Amino acid sequence: MTDPTTTAPAPGDQLSGAPLLAVHDLAITRWPGGPPLVTGLDLELRRGETIALVGESGAGKSLSARAAIKLVPAGLHVTGEVRFQGEDLNRMDEEAVRAVRGGGVAMLLQDPFTILNPLIRTRTHLIETLRSSGRRLSGAEAADEVTRRLAEVGITDASVGDRYPFELSGGMRQRVALACALAKDPALLIADEPTTALDATTQRDVLRLLRSVQQARGMGVLMITHDLRVAFSISDRVYVMYAGGVVERARPEDFLAAPAHPYTVGLIRAEPPTGYRREQLDGIPGQVPAPETVSHQCAFADRCSWATPECTTARPPLLAVTDVHASACRRREEIAGELLADLHAAWEPATVPDPPAGETVLRVAGLRKSYQRDRSTWAVDGIDFTLGSGRNLGIVGESGSGKTTLARCLLGLEEPTEGSIELLGTDVSRYRSLDREQLRRVRGQLQCVFQDPYSSLNRSHSVGFILREALSRRSPEAGPAPSVEELLDRVGLAARYAGRKPVALSGGQRQRVAIARALAIAPKVLLCDEPVAALDVSVQGQVLQVLREVSESGTQLLFITHDLAVVRQMTDDLVVLERGKIVESGRTEAVLDQPSHPYTARLVGAVPTGDAEWLS
Amino acid sequence: MSAIAGQDAIGGGTTARKRRRMPVSVLLAAIFAVLVVGLAIFGPLLAPHDPAAQSLQTGVIGPTSDHLLGTDHLGRDILSRVMAGARDAVIGPAIIAISATVISLVFGIIAGYRGGVVEAVVLRVGDLMYAVPAILVSIVVIGVLGGGYYLAVAVLVLLSVPADTRVVRAAVLSERHLPYIEAGQTLGLSRWRIMTVHILPNVMPTAVAIALLEFVYGLITLSSLSFLGLGAEAGSPEWGRMLADNRTLLAENPNAALAPALLIMATAAAVMLLGDWIYDRVSEESTTRD
Amino acid sequence: MSIAWYILRRLGVGLLLLVIASFFVFCLLYISPGSPEQVLLGGRPSTPEIIGTIRAKYNLDDPFLVQYGQWLLDAFRLDFGESIVTDQPVTTVLTDRAGPTLALALAGLVLTIVIAVPAGMYAAAKRNTSGDRMVSMLTLLGSSAPTFAVGVLLLYVFGVSLEWFPVFGNGTGFTGQLHHLVLPAIALAVTQIAYVTRQTRAAALRVYEQDYVTFARSRGLGRSLIWRRYALLNSSLPIVTATGLLLAYTLGGAVLVEVTFSREGVGSLMLQAVQSKDIPVVQGLVAFAAITVTLVNLGVDLVNLAIDPRLRKEVTG
Repeated sequence: MTDPTTTAPAPGDQLSGAPLLAVHDLAITRWPGGPPLVTGLDLELRRGETIALVGESGAGKSLSARAAIKLVPAGLHVTGEVRFQGEDLNRMDEEAVRAVRGGGVAMLLQDPFTILNPLIRTRTHLIETLRSSGRRLSGAEAADEVTRRLAEVGITDASVGDRYPFELSGGMRQRVALACALAKDPALLIADEPTTALDATTQRDVLRLLRSVQQARGMGVLMITHDLRVAFSISDRVYVMYAGGVVERARPEDFLAAPAHPYTVGLIRAEPPTGYRREQLDGIPGQVPAPETVSHQCAFADRCSWATPECTTARPPLLAVTDVHASACRRREEIAGELLADLHAAWEPATVPDPPAGETVLRVAGLRKSYQRDRSTWAVDGIDFTLGSGRNLGIVGESGSGKTTLARCLLGLEEPTEGSIELLGTDVSRYRSLDREQLRRVRGQLQCVFQDPYSSLNRSHSVGFILREALSRRSPEAGPAPSVEELLDRVGLAARYAGRKPVALSGGQRQRVAIARALAIAPKVLLCDEPVAALDVSVQGQVLQVLREVSESGTQLLFITHDLAVVRQMTDDLVVLERGKIVESGRTEAVLDQPSHPYTARLVGAVPTGDAEWLS
Repeated sequence: MSAIAGQDAIGGGTTARKRRRMPVSVLLAAIFAVLVVGLAIFGPLLAPHDPAAQSLQTGVIGPTSDHLLGTDHLGRDILSRVMAGARDAVIGPAIIAISATVISLVFGIIAGYRGGVVEAVVLRVGDLMYAVPAILVSIVVIGVLGGGYYLAVAVLVLLSVPADTRVVRAAVLSERHLPYIEAGQTLGLSRWRIMTVHILPNVMPTAVAIALLEFVYGLITLSSLSFLGLGAEAGSPEWGRMLADNRTLLAENPNAALAPALLIMATAAAVMLLGDWIYDRVSEESTTRD
Repeated sequence: MSIAWYILRRLGVGLLLLVIASFFVFCLLYISPGSPEQVLLGGRPSTPEIIGTIRAKYNLDDPFLVQYGQWLLDAFRLDFGESIVTDQPVTTVLTDRAGPTLALALAGLVLTIVIAVPAGMYAAAKRNTSGDRMVSMLTLLGSSAPTFAVGVLLLYVFGVSLEWFPVFGNGTGFTGQLHHLVLPAIALAVTQIAYVTRQTRAAALRVYEQDYVTFARSRGLGRSLIWRRYALLNSSLPIVTATGLLLAYTLGGAVLVEVTFSREGVGSLMLQAVQSKDIPVVQGLVAFAAITVTLVNLGVDLVNLAIDPRLRKEVTG
């Protein structure tokens, strides 16, 4: 372990001697002696310091953070020390902890849509928090205080105080929540994925706000995020967690300059780059294990290409690399050079293919869709584009841009209000008016992969059943049908998965089955609606690579996403949607490198870059 | 994002699914339910006395070695009567449960998936029937029409279908827009196939819950009607009727009234307990998100 | 759209329910076995003069729909005719009997709310502890116990064996009536308590899982504040709805309770009227029930509107 007193503080921060938060040997189990969720966590956070806990789902980062405010879900068992300003929260009773909450440690949660009480006004949230420390506030004082507190989080519209949460946008609600969390002037703010549910542009605004508040108040921040680049941008130090434990701890720059753990390197590599296209998108093979299955070995050993048999004999401790950098890899010194090379290899841009456009496969003209009877708002408001054979088209937009409505119109799940959709010469804007034969042909040419892997497959049926059903819809013209095993093989799954039900598969595996189902009828166009948005970063790459291979074998992708990095990797052409209208289109590289429309520029600017500049 | 992905580690392939042990209370409930079904089938054969045999000179007596639960005012053996009464007590609720479930599944799935006229009718009828007390309507209809056990059964089926259909429809609606259904549509599967092969299995937990709840409500309401003299005819050993006939005997032989009362309550409680447990199991079997 | 318009619309739906119910009720006369004259004759001797009077009085010579219209007009003036059995006006019979049933319903409601809401909230707060399991087991037993069976059990234990409470009748004088009300009110309330406890527990469990509760705790808000403004307030919508539903069901329960405890009330009147085929009384009672249901539903809707700003927004646009 590094000696805490020698840990160099980030420059320019007002740090004092004793840590604000010191967690020692924290372990969380499902019940006393039960399966572990977090094992042996040590963490220190100083006054004014921002620390990020980074990890994929199941890493235990959120639970660990909740232990720091003693709000671990009821039933779970917590051991170890959680010292806040020297006092061990874990030994305090509920009343004593309550005095710490809000004023000592405060917390901001992920989902702005559920964080506020829907039945009370914004103002009430703030005032009840201000008063809960025993503070007396007259009506007028309270009103002043509410105005001042809202102004601190950038809300100058005084009427917001009188609104109910449901009357505010997501970003606005998260600001109100932040004002509530700050109401008792905490020394430490825990921010649990505070921007994950927000759009990219809003995310940047909220993170900036968080950072400026932190600096103005000299507050400690414990940031939980799955996004390495966000963590690098906002924090002084980063703890990387994997399967319930910390595997690496360092300053953001150390991770890139001197990587010391294969998992972190894998994670950085798995993040698709925004700035260039990469040759291989492989992510990390395998999937995140359940913590209890790896409690007596290196948790990452089973997915690590540097693992040796010794790695699975005991859990490696977190050992110092430098005074501010520690790693839990027992081979960190031997493989340091290889890790660095591995990291750099990922930074080599691949040559961007520019396949010639063939005949027009899909032509969308003047497409409009309104869900209201009086047509007062348009979800899709006049869209024109064509998809030429051989080229993948990306459609990018934030929530509310109409991208999902567009997808649903294309698939015939919604009927457009106006305009036409022509698929290989057939007008499919009115699916209901197609005859049986046309319908059958159209269905054979356009298939879809949806966002949510958990409901993409019918939970009542086995993978084999699902694929056989899809194969039965394959038309004879599509050539000889592959077997279920061949389909599974194409998406990188072993034949034994045919017998399993969706419940026994991970998210990435389910998404691959969904792709296999679409491929069963050999469609000309595969519409992918946010196919990796719900997946962990280390698995995203695997699925994207499968989709790339699909596109190389004659099925074109129509790729709908909010993620500019992903669209860069997957598409040749790009269309940018804002509020139902196309604001920019062109070759993907051109649009992303030299955006000509301000909205596109804002989107590009909102992509986390991984350095602190991004938030200044 | 990670809220969805967060299920990954928990539902993931490596963790073996937990096998949950049957709690003792559920086991007892199951044994009791089997016993009652056994009585419903074989009760009259197993009864120590002829349940209808009167013995006016015996009259009302408390428990003896010959009459373990004593006799009623006509000298009929209480134990034999409650055993024989199981059939009448259980068969009506079973018919109600099965018919209400099947009918509401058919209309609920059509209303939820196809919409249209069926849905409009289901919604309107549901609106009107909402908060209309079934017991009151049954009392009026059956009373005015002159009573009868199977009339009561039919009325109760009619009264429970609208609410049950709405429940099924709600379950279908929550499936209807899930990607697996839309993927089926995109593949060009027929509506019939989507309704029967894809939606039906996933609303089965709801159907099971409806069936068991309707059984319990059927048991309660039918025995209530019999108690009021509107269900099973006079002299029948049906439990509710028997309770009504014997409640004046509370001082002389309380068993005559308490035995059927406790049997009704125990049967209803056992089925409800079993229902809760089965519902949890069935919905756990197939859901990934908990 | 305004709240007033909303109330009007709800009343409109209620009126529709009333019309449908009344039509159904009017049909009872024709559905019941025997000709209308015979039914309306009741126990009186069947002389041509009396039959003639009845035909004239009930407009039996008019077409069916005209008869119905006439009946409906009278019904709107709260005139349901006279009881065939006692010859009293139906309205008089009803008002005479309403008092005890109202007392019973109120006592049951008070018992239910006082016991069920705290029990449900407690069980949810102590989820999966022995206290919660106890509450859940009791609600299960309560909801599977028919009202009349509970009544007979209570009668046996507290009336016949312990002799604490009287076993039948309404009692006289305030204390006497109260004394007579205890067991019936408990019998009526058992199922209701079980139902409302279940609903409350489920609602509170959903609320406790919400982020806003965690967020409130993370801000160090007081326990009682979280309890009131977060847990109870957010659970109150389903609780109010459940309470309204059971009020609508009270008349059904009252029939069973009043028969079990030999009480004179609207419930026992219902059974007597049905058994003696006293159709005008049945018609009056059903109209009374339908009005109750409609008003209770409207009340529930209005309380929910007062609680939830999102519903208010939906209504006022």
